[in-house]
Amino acid sequence: MPVWHAATREWVKSGRLVLLGVVQEQHADRARLFAQWQQLDWPILHDPINILRLQAVPIPVAIDEHGIVRAVRPDLKTFEADFLNKTFPDDGGEAAPLTPKASDIAALREQAKANPTAGWRALGDALALWGGPGRLDEAIVCYQRAAQVAPADGDAFFRLGVCRRLRYETASRRPGDFQAAVDGWSRALATNPNQYIWRRRIQQYGPRLDKPYAFYDWVAEAAKAIAARGDTPIALAEPPYGSEIAFPLKDLPQPEALEPPDPEGKVRRDDQRLIEAEVAVVPASVAPGQSVRVHITFRPSRDAKAHWNNETEPLRLWVDVPAGWRVSDRLLVAPQPRAAETGEVRRLDFEVQAPPGAAEPARFRLYALYNVYETQGGQCLFLRQDISVEIALRK
Amino acid sequence: MVREITLGILLALAVWGSAMNADAGSYAPEVGKRHPDFMLPRIDDRKPVSLSDFRGKKVLLIHFASW
Repeated sequence: MPVWHAATREWVKSGRLVLLGVVQEQHADRARLFAQWQQLDWPILHDPINILRLQAVPIPVAIDEHGIVRAVRPDLKTFEADFLNKTFPDDGGEAAPLTPKASDIAALREQAKANPTAGWRALGDALALWGGPGRLDEAIVCYQRAAQVAPADGDAFFRLGVCRRLRYETASRRPGDFQAAVDGWSRALATNPNQYIWRRRIQQYGPRLDKPYAFYDWVAEAAKAIAARGDTPIALAEPPYGSEIAFPLKDLPQPEALEPPDPEGKVRRDDQRLIEAEVAVVPASVAPGQSVRVHITFRPSRDAKAHWNNETEPLRLWVDVPAGWRVSDRLLVAPQPRAAETGEVRRLDFEVQAPPGAAEPARFRLYALYNVYETQGGQCLFLRQDISVEIALRK
Repeated sequence: MVREITLGILLALAVWGSAMNADAGSYAPEVGKRHPDFMLPRIDDRKPVSLSDFRGKKVLLIHFASW
């Protein structure tokens, strides 16, 4: 894609060609940072739910002055002679549009009642594309209904997963949103294993043994390059972390031999749930010999007005391993900011590999140790939270 | 008049709906055929754009990902 951007610059400048991008990306701000880094100054459209149903990217398409396709994956060497310099007849017939408009939502709601099989997904699409974060709940309900009436509708499951993950990243999140997103993507992929856009969404958060490449390693490089130009890089609402920036691996490393930090379980339990812990396993199940990535999200409780205490030891997570299973890490430590008290979300993730002869699902016992204030400036507590992770086995 | 407009909207939705259900069609633009129109939000929150907004101009449509 950067090749086309560079090669067509003069044609675009002189008005002979329009470049129009469509980006398959869940986070619009990440796409904006990418465009800022690559200095892409043409319109770029955002297709978070893959409503255009691409199976893979990139795909350049040459479209003439009448809207008719003249080449798919055109040859750059002959592009000017075969496309730009030619005048084409208007002979392409008509085609139905691929996307709903915001103004369609009311009519789509009526259509969904009359024709639930197609209607709920269509209404979900309109809400997901045009409703903004405020209508994610409605979009999720629509996709759930669509998936219920058509259990083989991979699009509905994938888009349900997208919306659950989007909601997980908002203040309106519900418990289990991240795992539900992974479950949706996994159900979608089961209906069509050749759908690489769907597969990549799981791999983005999945284990390194199943990664084709690091998905967002470019973010740090982009920020540095933009700053070096004297610009301010676009700030990301959800900076990529852990699995999203991890490089592929061929084998899990042997974790360090460490002593557990609370072997006898003497540290006081966080019975008030001052810190809320949420687990997601990606993919949702593991085949014998394969691996999954386990994500643990820690959030100070808003109801309890809890805050991290950063003036002492950071958040630690200890992983106990069932016999025969392997893990990438036994002890994980979350970075903490310099400010004395903060309320941010902290994330830790690690990988688990099932033994080749695994016959039973595994239950991992983890515990987190942290220092937390009951309220801002309140009493500081050193607490432990026990976390159980079930990993389902896929035959 | 209102009824005609309503019927028109429903017809357009039916056509759009059938396009979306033509199952399972994945994206496959055909050379020599008009590219189906689409409108999507922009990454920079500016006014959404349709492919048909560029009618009269030659367009290189690039589908890509940032990952």
